[in-house]
Amino acid sequence: MQWWTSKVNDPTGSIRGNSSFEETFQKSIILTNMESLVAWGRKNSIWPFNFGLSCCYVEMATSITSKYDSARFGAEVIRGSPREADMMIIAGTVFIKMAPVIKRLYEQMMAPRWVISMGSCANSGGMYDIYSVVQGVDKFMPVDVYVPGCPPRPDAFLEGILMLRDQVGNEKRPLNWVIGDQGIIKPLGASMKEEKRTERMKMTDIRDPGSV
Amino acid sequence: MTDIVTIIDHTFPGCILTVQATKDDFPTLWVKPAHIVDILRFLKMEADGPYKMLYDLTAIDEQARAHRPDQPESLFTVVYQLLSFERNTFLRLKVPLTAGEPTLPSVTGVWPAANWYEREVYDLFGIRFEGHPHLKRILMPDTWVGHPLQKCHPARATEMAPYQLPENKQETEQLSMQFKPEEWGLDSTLGDDDLLFLNLGPQHPGTHGILRLVVQLDGENIMNVVPDIGFHHRGAEKMGERQSWHSYIPYTDRVEYLGGVMNNFPYVMAVEKLAGITVPDRAKVIRIMLSELFRISSHLVWYGTFAQDLGMMTPVFLTFNDREKVLDIIAAICGARMHPNWFRIGGVAQELPKGWEALIQAFIDYFPKRLKEYDNLVMKNSIFKARTIGIGVYSTEEAIEWGITGPGLRATGLEWDFRKKQPYSGYEQFEFDVPTGQNGDCYDRAKVRVEELRQSLRIIQQCLHNMPEGPYKSDHPLTTPPVKERTLQDIETLIHHFLNVTWGPVIPPGEAFCGIEATKGHNGYYLISDGNTNSYRTRIRTPSFPHLQFVPTISTGYTLPDLMSILGATDYVLSDVDR
Repeated sequence: MQWWTSKVNDPTGSIRGNSSFEETFQKSIILTNMESLVAWGRKNSIWPFNFGLSCCYVEMATSITSKYDSARFGAEVIRGSPREADMMIIAGTVFIKMAPVIKRLYEQMMAPRWVISMGSCANSGGMYDIYSVVQGVDKFMPVDVYVPGCPPRPDAFLEGILMLRDQVGNEKRPLNWVIGDQGIIKPLGASMKEEKRTERMKMTDIRDPGSV
Repeated sequence: MTDIVTIIDHTFPGCILTVQATKDDFPTLWVKPAHIVDILRFLKMEADGPYKMLYDLTAIDEQARAHRPDQPESLFTVVYQLLSFERNTFLRLKVPLTAGEPTLPSVTGVWPAANWYEREVYDLFGIRFEGHPHLKRILMPDTWVGHPLQKCHPARATEMAPYQLPENKQETEQLSMQFKPEEWGLDSTLGDDDLLFLNLGPQHPGTHGILRLVVQLDGENIMNVVPDIGFHHRGAEKMGERQSWHSYIPYTDRVEYLGGVMNNFPYVMAVEKLAGITVPDRAKVIRIMLSELFRISSHLVWYGTFAQDLGMMTPVFLTFNDREKVLDIIAAICGARMHPNWFRIGGVAQELPKGWEALIQAFIDYFPKRLKEYDNLVMKNSIFKARTIGIGVYSTEEAIEWGITGPGLRATGLEWDFRKKQPYSGYEQFEFDVPTGQNGDCYDRAKVRVEELRQSLRIIQQCLHNMPEGPYKSDHPLTTPPVKERTLQDIETLIHHFLNVTWGPVIPPGEAFCGIEATKGHNGYYLISDGNTNSYRTRIRTPSFPHLQFVPTISTGYTLPDLMSILGATDYVLSDVDR
């Protein structure tokens, strides 16, 4: 589906098109199937669970505030109860004492549910290879998107949300029983390291840290 | 006033085993275990210039230590650090334990604040305290085997079996966490009424992190609160025993994660004391400037979230925007937002970038009018006032009794700021006021912090106008990373540089404590070097630990919504509590 927004007081925006019957008709009718429509709805309203473990949670909370504004991607309605949330962000270090609680909270979320592992600690234990820390949350529960960083900047976290949105939108999650492949088929996760390689290689000038 | 060592020696003849010399020049006495409670009681109640605050209580596993000349034989040493406000000095008492099953009488009868400290020592070292009201693990889960800070306990997770969480383990762990009121000596009934035990956390938006509070409720009235901590225990102290002196700096950033480089401050100063490094003036002022920027950033997080706890939605968006402005400056100078890890042993990581003055000046011009706006929005708001004035009241005496420092202490009317009383890094050269409250309630604690924002801005302004010229790092051979200029000119310097960079500096054996006025209160690092490339024992005394321990005492008698106000005004960070 294509859509656009126009700027306030933009005279060219208001006279786009020729206001013909066909055009009005085209703008008002969507032809799609139910599954795609539901997937589209889901991907644009992923409600996060108000859950945080440590430092990363501060950056996650920052991503909701005005400068970063996760509302742009439909993910600002933080829910206090796991039962109302779609997405759990493991924002911080996964402690051995906390792990059973994290798992219980995850189990309390209703399907469909997704998990973003935010920060190095949740990804792999990070710099905390220490007796009280689980070396990555994926040791005991599934993860959909990993966001690297210690802590990731709010922008990096937002990119994680965008990646999850793409995954959610392309997921095969039949609403009724189907012939053929059963169950949920998730798209293969993309590696940003690979995808951005060309762009990264183009970067030849690195900013001098000696000036602002 | 008479020297405290003389007083103790006079009052308790023959009880002092030896007087140890340390690099921080605190009086450090080894005393006999049998008399420790009497001596502590005397020091608190009767001594001239009494030591009213139990500042810290910790232990050392001495079993692998090579350098301890003139110290009594000991397997485990328990360390008591006291603070006297009259004398404005610290005092350290050490008790050697030689028995196979180490035990010591509890001092909870003298200081109630010793309760959590003794539980922590029991949990991490396995030292038992006789007469402790409830000696139970505090940081590790109840199901844990072993005592992590003993030298024989593995440090790395990868040295232990891979973590798994099958269903039956999930069940047993959940069961072990179940709260049993009778275990804590709490009644389930009051007269004919049943009491409610409300489980708040470990996952709850109002607890500001993973903290669990079990609240005993009669209707809406709080009868008791039992905090359960340790969900955020990252083993920061054990980490210090394996990282090199230099590579431990990033871990300090994450101890109080809102304070950023301010956490590097006491650590690098303690190492500098051990190594005998003098820091150049420019580095000192840069350190102060960045610390004060972080104080502003941390207080802004507190300001917004505290208002949000009390039902206001807008302030958090505004204060976080201002925090972004502070973090932008920090990122321009240090290259990172929250954990810049920018201080170095002997100075800071690099020279201030060109154009830093304009960034700071823009913020100084911008911020005061925002603070005025917040005053109108929050501090003068009648609902905010109604929910904070007269809530969570405590007196100066109570605060000292429980080890409260920082804004929580100043809100009771005591003008005690370590930047003024025991100035470090050149704070004595700055002009700023120490804001205090009168009533010791949640509102006054808020008021003190808001005023501190203005004072921090004043300090930053003075840094801007009086930034000294000179090097940003000392040329002492133990600074990290070592000075590189001469390395390609003679082989000696090259070898030293190579070793210092690859292995890290070898710090001479000794002990030193250094503390600062951090965002939440007094934060101190007590480091023991055994003449190695890493520390033998790293003790982090954080302010949030005693502050959280105090919450049950100041919440009893109020209602459940008041608890949110009390928690918010306490301003703790869970990583600062559990380390």
